[in-house]
Amino acid sequence: MKHERNLKAAYSAEHALFLKKRRRRQTLIRLLRVGLLALLLAMWELVTALGWADSFLTSSPSRIIKTLLSLYRDGTLFYHIGVTLWETLAGFAIAVAAGCSIALLLWWSDTLQRVLEPYIVILNALPKIAMGPLIIIWFGTGSRAIVFMAVLVGIIIVIMHMLSAFLAADRNKVLLLRSMGAGKGQILIKLVLPSSLAAFISTLKIAVGMSWIGSIMGEYIVSKAGLGYLIVYGGQVFKIDLVMTATCILCVLAAGMYFLIVLLEKILVKNKED
Amino acid sequence: MKKEILTFRTVTYTYHTADGEITAIDNLTFSIGEGEFVAMIGPSGCGKSTILSLAAGLLSPSAGDVVCNGTVGYMLQRDELFPWRTIEKNIRLPLEIKKQDTTDHRVKAKALAVKYGLGEFLQSYPSRLSGGMRQRAALIRTLASDPDVLLLDEPFSALDYQTRLNVTQDVSSIIRREKKTALLITHDISEAISLADRVIVLTGRPAHISHMHEMDFGEIDPLKRRENRAFSKWFEILWKELNG
Repeated sequence: MKHERNLKAAYSAEHALFLKKRRRRQTLIRLLRVGLLALLLAMWELVTALGWADSFLTSSPSRIIKTLLSLYRDGTLFYHIGVTLWETLAGFAIAVAAGCSIALLLWWSDTLQRVLEPYIVILNALPKIAMGPLIIIWFGTGSRAIVFMAVLVGIIIVIMHMLSAFLAADRNKVLLLRSMGAGKGQILIKLVLPSSLAAFISTLKIAVGMSWIGSIMGEYIVSKAGLGYLIVYGGQVFKIDLVMTATCILCVLAAGMYFLIVLLEKILVKNKED
Repeated sequence: MKKEILTFRTVTYTYHTADGEITAIDNLTFSIGEGEFVAMIGPSGCGKSTILSLAAGLLSPSAGDVVCNGTVGYMLQRDELFPWRTIEKNIRLPLEIKKQDTTDHRVKAKALAVKYGLGEFLQSYPSRLSGGMRQRAALIRTLASDPDVLLLDEPFSALDYQTRLNVTQDVSSIIRREKKTALLITHDISEAISLADRVIVLTGRPAHISHMHEMDFGEIDPLKRRENRAFSKWFEILWKELNG
């Protein structure tokens, strides 16, 4: 971007026009995105206010705000957010750390990789929710069970993605390093890890989504607190406002975590290219 | 007799796969003296790359001996520069691998890069360099650890014709000025004639030596050789031997 601005004076009138059009289009797209959200919320509010839809069943933006305020006033809003956020982040961190380590081991030992391949394929295909009762029995009904569920949902995909990234390291570059006398450790550090950076970022993006699925699924099965708990509880006592409010908070949190990773990507990639 | 740097003595190499075994090289004997530039030509798929892997010690022969009195530097078809490293750090790579990454060696490697026109690109990433410059950087990287023999695996074949002529000229003059020993494998007859002191002709698989010729051009560079009258004579001879 800085580069672009410095050179601006040298651009032809035609190119300046092109840039102007491009900027306009980007602004328009941003406005339309926000506008679409505003429109949907307004219609939702209007339809319930006019009585065309029963706000007891559909809730409404104003009722969501009221619910949010009352949760805030009785001090439970940040408690529930904190519980789910902690479970998700812990699940995410463990799934990524353990998944990458296991992928590394499998890359290191071809034999181990061949031996464990069918197990990984089956674990990947297994619906993790089937493990629900076992998790309750093994880990109890606290946060530990939910973190375990989040790890379970995320880890296999991390292993598979990172292993294929490690194995995709350029054969000719491996040959080159070997001709210089490099051992496996040096090949790992000089070539395999740096060339897997892009795959690592995309794995993080997937793992974030997976750990949210895992933590909410965990809270559905067994929980005393958290956003998933609010949704289940709201459903059971027919408080749709609570269900909708918790869902909206989830949207905001999940999007926030995703954008943090996009930010991380920008920092890392920028360091590499400039 | 010059000191022998690389010697193959009745070398045979056989690949084993689930479907069977393939003898890639059969009873190969040759040697390369210090400062000599040898080119090997052969039909594609005749096991030329296997010869380089054996010379570099990446493979062990099924029978016979490979003796290399010194260190090797490998140069591949593509430059294989690491895109996340600057040119300077790419050139430093063999030093890091060989644990020779001292200030002394770094200064030498950098001086080599500057000497051959890469000075202004040292802090650039490879993506900013042209194909020819990238291949030159790859050569400097190969030379950075000061190897005794250069193994060149068709290092020009991925370049377009114009660039190839220039880079061939370039690489030839750098290798000769640095007084390096080199073994080039190629399927390009004119490349072999324009670069080498000696050309070895290989047969199809399993590869063994069918002919060997000393090039009689004296100290003239590749482009001049192409204009020389002897060039077409050698081209005709090698063409017949390769297809005979």
